[in-house]
Amino acid sequence: MPEQLSIYEILVNASPLVQFVMVILALASVISWMMIFQRWFALNRVRRQMDDFEEEFWSGVDLRELYGELEEEEHLNGSETVFQSGFREFLRLSEQAGADPDAVMQGVQRAMRVALTREEESLERHLAFLATVGSTSPYVGLFGTVWGIMNAFRNLANMSQATLASVAPGISEALIATAMGLFAAIPAVIGYNRFSARVEVLMKRYEAFADELTSILYRASHQT
Amino acid sequence: MLRDYPVPLVLALLLHVGAGLALVRGWTPENDDALVIRPDIVSARLIVLEPPKPKATRRLPAPQPAAAPAPPKQAAPEPAPPKVDPAERERQQREAERAREEAARRERLEKLAETAFKDALDREGIELASNAQTDAALSYVAGIYQAVVRNWSRPPSARNDMQAELLVELIPTGEVVSVTLVSSSGNAAFDRSAEAAVRKTRRFQVPEDIGLFEARFRQFTLLFKPEDLLR
Repeated sequence: MPEQLSIYEILVNASPLVQFVMVILALASVISWMMIFQRWFALNRVRRQMDDFEEEFWSGVDLRELYGELEEEEHLNGSETVFQSGFREFLRLSEQAGADPDAVMQGVQRAMRVALTREEESLERHLAFLATVGSTSPYVGLFGTVWGIMNAFRNLANMSQATLASVAPGISEALIATAMGLFAAIPAVIGYNRFSARVEVLMKRYEAFADELTSILYRASHQT
Repeated sequence: MLRDYPVPLVLALLLHVGAGLALVRGWTPENDDALVIRPDIVSARLIVLEPPKPKATRRLPAPQPAAAPAPPKQAAPEPAPPKVDPAERERQQREAERAREEAARRERLEKLAETAFKDALDREGIELASNAQTDAALSYVAGIYQAVVRNWSRPPSARNDMQAELLVELIPTGEVVSVTLVSSSGNAAFDRSAEAAVRKTRRFQVPEDIGLFEARFRQFTLLFKPEDLLR
């Protein structure tokens, strides 16, 4: 009489290699979900901060005042860093006697480009991990499955009387590895796609902001 | 930054523990009972499929054939396939149907995407200086359009009625030699964004045919109009 196997029994009786694969996949899944939550919160926060800062920036506040305020703050967020690095470069270069306005603007653009690159790097943190989990964990799971089925059939060969019941547990055990691989991969791929799209949108906004700031500073430097 | 991780970690662990529990609890023997209740249908199908094996119909009173000396070896493996077969077949059919639907849907989507792209091309047009455009030239124009649009990040101050015209000069490898503003939109940030879009592209796909290149791509004007904006 074939008994219903519990998942727990299958896991405990699985061959060491398949168990190893399962542990790796479970870890990958936990970590990728952690990254997903972390990116989710972080990107939401960045967007909120950007909204706040842009509102402040366009509220007609004196830029020097705004810059002074930012100098005192400890943790600067994305658009604040872009603004600060651009404006700092502007102040430094235009203080030099006989500074060429075009050279000043070039310096400002360079400084902001550096800040933008840094921001992009911090926005894209962990995305590579999600991409790796998304693309490799199905293969890892498949490896566990193939190994498990291989063993199941090898055991079958040793039996004088081959029944389905003698291979089924092995195959069932093996298939769990594939299921786990997919379980880890699907959220990771979705998370990766979603977050890289959001990072792109945020970067566009940063760039637009940097351009706006450039045009304001350009006007200021070419006035005199 | 490290302080950002505990909460996500706890959430992730909770999720996995929940999933694991649901899986273990959900693995109940009820499914098995449900399968056993259906043998009527199962055996009926089996006869239609494999007429030479009528023995299988006697599967329900299993203990009786087991007493016979000859067939037990056969009887043991046989019961398993009929359980699976019809369900499996049905599932495959369903899957095939789903695959067909999926293919049809993808085709529709592709067609839709194509028309949408053409619409966008018309709407936010890049206008080349020449009038008579051959098909070959058109495909390169579309390529240039895509490349520029991809690199164009419009400033928030862009408005629908703005338009900036740029004169772009290329060399036969497709590299941009110069970008000049022909007519300004009146908004410096907008002009600069348009110029930056072209400069960022750096290199366009241009025809190998030098005649066509000289005629249409050596110098051309790009018209930037953000007509798709809501404001």
